[in-house]
Amino acid sequence: MQCLKYIVETRNLVKRFGDVIALKGINFKVRNSEIVGLVGDNGAGKSTLVKIISGVYTPDEGEIYIKGQKFRRLTPQKAYELGIVLVHQERTLSENHTIWRNIFMGRELTGPFGFLRIRNMRNTATKLLKEIGLKAMSADTPVKYLSGGYKQGVQIARALCFEADLVILDEPTVQLSISEVQRVLEYVRELKKRGKSCIFISHNIYHVYPVADRFVLLDRGKIVAEFMKTDLTPEDLSHIMVSIARTGKIPVEYEKINLIHSSQE
Amino acid sequence: MSRKSFNTKTFADTIVNTFNRYKLQVAISVIFLVLWLIFFTMNPEGFSEPATYAAITSVAPFTIIPALSLTYVIISREIDLSFPSVMALGGWVLAVTWRALGPTPIGVILALLAGLIAGLLNGLLVTRCRIPSLIATIGTMFLWRGVVLVATEGFSIPLGKFRGTPIFQVLVGRIGGIPMQMVWAITIGILLWVFLNFHKFGAYIYYTGDNRDAARMLGINTGKVLTCVFMLHGVIAAFAGILVTLEMATFWPALGEIYLLKSIASVIVGGTPVTGGIGTVFGTFIGGLILELIETGILAVGVTGFWIRLVHGLVIIVALIAQVSIREREIKRMRTIMGIG
Repeated sequence: MQCLKYIVETRNLVKRFGDVIALKGINFKVRNSEIVGLVGDNGAGKSTLVKIISGVYTPDEGEIYIKGQKFRRLTPQKAYELGIVLVHQERTLSENHTIWRNIFMGRELTGPFGFLRIRNMRNTATKLLKEIGLKAMSADTPVKYLSGGYKQGVQIARALCFEADLVILDEPTVQLSISEVQRVLEYVRELKKRGKSCIFISHNIYHVYPVADRFVLLDRGKIVAEFMKTDLTPEDLSHIMVSIARTGKIPVEYEKINLIHSSQE
Repeated sequence: MSRKSFNTKTFADTIVNTFNRYKLQVAISVIFLVLWLIFFTMNPEGFSEPATYAAITSVAPFTIIPALSLTYVIISREIDLSFPSVMALGGWVLAVTWRALGPTPIGVILALLAGLIAGLLNGLLVTRCRIPSLIATIGTMFLWRGVVLVATEGFSIPLGKFRGTPIFQVLVGRIGGIPMQMVWAITIGILLWVFLNFHKFGAYIYYTGDNRDAARMLGINTGKVLTCVFMLHGVIAAFAGILVTLEMATFWPALGEIYLLKSIASVIVGGTPVTGGIGTVFGTFIGGLILELIETGILAVGVTGFWIRLVHGLVIIVALIAQVSIREREIKRMRTIMGIG
């Protein structure tokens, strides 16, 4: 049961798409109430990895442990039941429906014979919106009228509402204005405050850096490096990323703080 | 749906907000009233006669009832073209059972069961075999029509001798001059409205049509939802088939064919877009009434029946234009409120 301190652990995860090997044996861990910044260039395999964890893709090899429970494959439903919530730009929202309906989507509160407890859900949603700083927002607003940052907010409110244990943010800051990025980062801090774990995917280091505890660097389907935030500055991280993109290696001066030792590979 | 909206402060605000929220339903009701006024001014005597309304309400349910459950199908972003054939299937099962056993509820139950099976087949073709519903239900449309044609060899089945039996009265009798089929249409309409708005099943139908991937990711079994929707539509179509058969006191193999486009048009006129995710049962009900009002109205004002299709076409176009402009204004209004350009 040594897995229990990890909310998610993957072992030797391999995923192929035809001839392309998207993931080449990934050992990835997320601790309880830890925010992991998953960074890497386009096509490094970040999205593939989280899609396996959230049950969208099935891995070709390897195992997934969630709260110590071993899985060969997951379905989106199963992952959701296990407390994994995926937050993606507009992807998991039902645009034409109200904020409260979206927050409770798939986990409606129901009374006798499956009838909805509408008042109950609206009140809870209103309270949640207040807690994450969307005071002015009515829970009756259809989601399609919200800006990108608020849409992320609704998805994060959903994760908070269901005591999700792991929230996966897949490029949550893409196409957002500067103030909206700040708002999303605020939500992520709120998640951390409540003891949730979080995987934060981004190619923008300056968006991940302020909130993450640990960085996992992916390159061409492999984890090439892992750093604690305390060990480096955003400039260091940026420098390492560029070096990986050019040479496929991290600069030697950072090797001693790298949590993955290349000798092991 | 709840009625309160953005920071309701006063009673007036509540009214304005309620109006904004139900604009589409208000618009469709206005179209209905305007048409009625036009017909009324053109033939005041005819439209003061209860007989005119008895005529409308005795045939309108055959368009409205299948349209009500078709609304569910269209909200879930699918289509069913097989329901006229399922209506015939239901009517045929009833006619055959009654011919053999007399006017018995068993006939009704068997007919509804046939509708359920037809709906299940549609559902499985769409969700398991992954055939787009437009194509799959063209297939089952021919299949069930074919079954009925082969079984009857094209002959009608007269059921006139069962007129006046209690079960006949319950299904298509008159209660204080009101045709029972209209009572059934209203009952089914209310039930479907309640389930769509206040039940988990209704919520899942909306999400399945609005964003199927999201629904699936959030653990909603969209395949099961769709299968249930098709099955419900099958049962209700079969029920409509029973009502048509009994109202005419004859089963004939081409039964249902005229309702295909009329029922679809009722849903569309009623404000449910084919893109799914939104829509109302109330709108469909009024949409169906509008189409039937036109049919009766045109004849009542003394123009030839050839005008019916033309006016149908005009009203459908006007209704669609109204819907698009209402939706676009609503988006603009909300954007201003939310402070996004």
